[in-house]
Amino acid sequence: MNGNGRTGAAGRRLMLLVLSVLCIAGAQLASMGHARAHASLVRVEPADGAVMAEAPKAFRLTFSEPTSPLVLKLIRPDGTGAVLDRFTLRDATLDIDAPADLGHGTYVLSWRIVSEDGHPVGGSAVFSIGAPGTSAALAPGDAADWQVRAAVWAAKVALYVGLFIGIGGVFFGRWIGDGTHRVALWSVFAGLAAVPLSVGFQGLDALGVPLADLASPVVWATGFSTSYGKTAFVALAALVLAAMAGVDRGAAGKGLSVTALVVAGLALAASGHASAAHPQWLTRPAVFLHAVGIAFWAGALVPLGAALASPVQGEGSAALRRFSRAIPVAVLPLVVAGVLLAAVQLRTPEALWTTAYGKVLLIKLGLLAALFLLAAVNRFRLTTPAARGDGRATARLRRSIYAELVLVLAIFAVAALWRFTPPPRALAEAAAAPASVHLHADKAMADVAIAPGRAGPVRASIAVMTGDFGPLDPAGVTLVLSNPAAGIEQIRRPATRDSEGVWQVEGLNLPVAGQWTVRVDILISDFELVKVEDNIAIRP
Amino acid sequence: MNILKSIIPAIALLATGATAASAHITLENQQAPVQSTYKAVFRVGHGCEGKPTTKVRVRIPEGVIAVKPQPKAGWTVEKVRGEYAKTYDYYGTPTREGVKEIVWSGGSLPDDEYDEFVLRAYLTGDLKPDTTLYFPVVQECPDGAAERWIEIPAEGKGADDYEQPAPGLKLIQKK
Repeated sequence: MNGNGRTGAAGRRLMLLVLSVLCIAGAQLASMGHARAHASLVRVEPADGAVMAEAPKAFRLTFSEPTSPLVLKLIRPDGTGAVLDRFTLRDATLDIDAPADLGHGTYVLSWRIVSEDGHPVGGSAVFSIGAPGTSAALAPGDAADWQVRAAVWAAKVALYVGLFIGIGGVFFGRWIGDGTHRVALWSVFAGLAAVPLSVGFQGLDALGVPLADLASPVVWATGFSTSYGKTAFVALAALVLAAMAGVDRGAAGKGLSVTALVVAGLALAASGHASAAHPQWLTRPAVFLHAVGIAFWAGALVPLGAALASPVQGEGSAALRRFSRAIPVAVLPLVVAGVLLAAVQLRTPEALWTTAYGKVLLIKLGLLAALFLLAAVNRFRLTTPAARGDGRATARLRRSIYAELVLVLAIFAVAALWRFTPPPRALAEAAAAPASVHLHADKAMADVAIAPGRAGPVRASIAVMTGDFGPLDPAGVTLVLSNPAAGIEQIRRPATRDSEGVWQVEGLNLPVAGQWTVRVDILISDFELVKVEDNIAIRP
Repeated sequence: MNILKSIIPAIALLATGATAASAHITLENQQAPVQSTYKAVFRVGHGCEGKPTTKVRVRIPEGVIAVKPQPKAGWTVEKVRGEYAKTYDYYGTPTREGVKEIVWSGGSLPDDEYDEFVLRAYLTGDLKPDTTLYFPVVQECPDGAAERWIEIPAEGKGADDYEQPAPGLKLIQKK
């Protein structure tokens, strides 16, 4: 409460100051006439459009004359803005401390300063850490580093083994079987070892740097800042819970094992292609159910097989009966969620064989068909005699369960490949139609197309004409974009004329979606400039 | 409190009224009667984003005749002549053509120095009093950099509404 009170008082003081500034500024405006001093930006570090491997420690703005900052803002890749309030002003140079937690993605440094005459001047610089883009989940480029990819893949498989075989196995041991099988516990430990490493690998992949850079702190910071960081964190919690559940034989162990199972589902729902798909209210719960179902099934295989081999009479058959009663409850949501996610991701049946994502899914479906066949044989042919205590059926069932385990591991290995294949849904979104707007003035017009018409790296094409649709060959064209609602001041880029007479701006980056103000400055001749302006909607 | 730290100097600056430095190219004398000779002093306070000014080009608006630039040490002055849109009366002499652009080049004015470029011209009676006359100026710097003070405010707007307004001269009634 005390803190709120202080903030309120500070806010009121600030309001008073702002008001007094406005009053004085108004008086100045009235008395000053036309002689105005505008500070113009001489240099910005990092430069507008820069792509750097490491997060900058500081930003520097150099103006043509002394200034005072009014607002300094950093807009992050997720669209949130933060006020930068740690800076030092030396004459015309403004040194701004960068926040320490800058991850991979595209940022906008936006400033509004007041120059000597009290005239506020604003501007923005867009820069990227790692690679330009708004989403860390985009597919890596063609120049893939196979070592890093193999490491990312292996860590992912290990994560699956830890979450499904490990946590699922611990759950089985606590609720269905009799105690924790050592394979389940070892799988949990394998997961515990793999998850932190996978964050580093993720960082390497996001930054596009080789395996040798694994020790670099920025790699880890980047890994954590991607959406996968959340998954890793939650998965780690799930694995720790499972390790505790694995050694506690009491009621606490039972509770912990359920919690671990739920948290494992949440971990996988926290990131990945499927969780990123829309509508999220549907996809995230679907991923959760899918994951929990897999853990229940896959985790049961090792301890169930072991129980069936147990010399203790009746131990295996009791576990088998309980398992076969519970399994439909787990498999039905698993299948429904899986079909739903595949439909969302594929969009069209052709995508199954025309895209890399679809091909991976086809292989997975083949393995799944074999798995379900085995499972059906186990359940409908072998379970009943084995549960009665038939020795031959039990031996066959055990072999069949181990075959299922092999198939499950193969499915994990295949599913981990999805990390490298953007789903057709994402590909379709990437190829989305451009956003366009027609800008009109008496002397000149411009047709601006921004492709793709969504936040992230884009290019702009500008066709200019005279006011009556005649040809126009201007001396220069400048594109000026701003997003007042997001606090992004003008981003200016000169356009270059292509061979067809269309003016192009490459390497543009629109960090946030929403209504952008687009202005085109057409320099008709050395002494004649026409500015046309309107709004354009940029999709998320 | 950091926000306060940034606002206080702003207030101090505003209160003392700092108007001397000018990033815009402006005219020293911003008011003149029509049918008179006017000495235009273009004040150049800055280069192009830190670069030195190497060329200053002034477009002479219609209705301004008998233009004579003042020579400037270290600079070459060029007078671009052309036909006017109509014939103007210069103390009884019909004038159809004359200087339409003045170019000072060959010098180098660093970004952190100030200079003035001067011309003298006759403001004809065809110019309407109580309007503003604009002299578009292009300031060129090395490496293709340029500042174009060429925006002419639309009806009802002032120079402050524009990023790069042309220097303006308020015309008043003949004395």
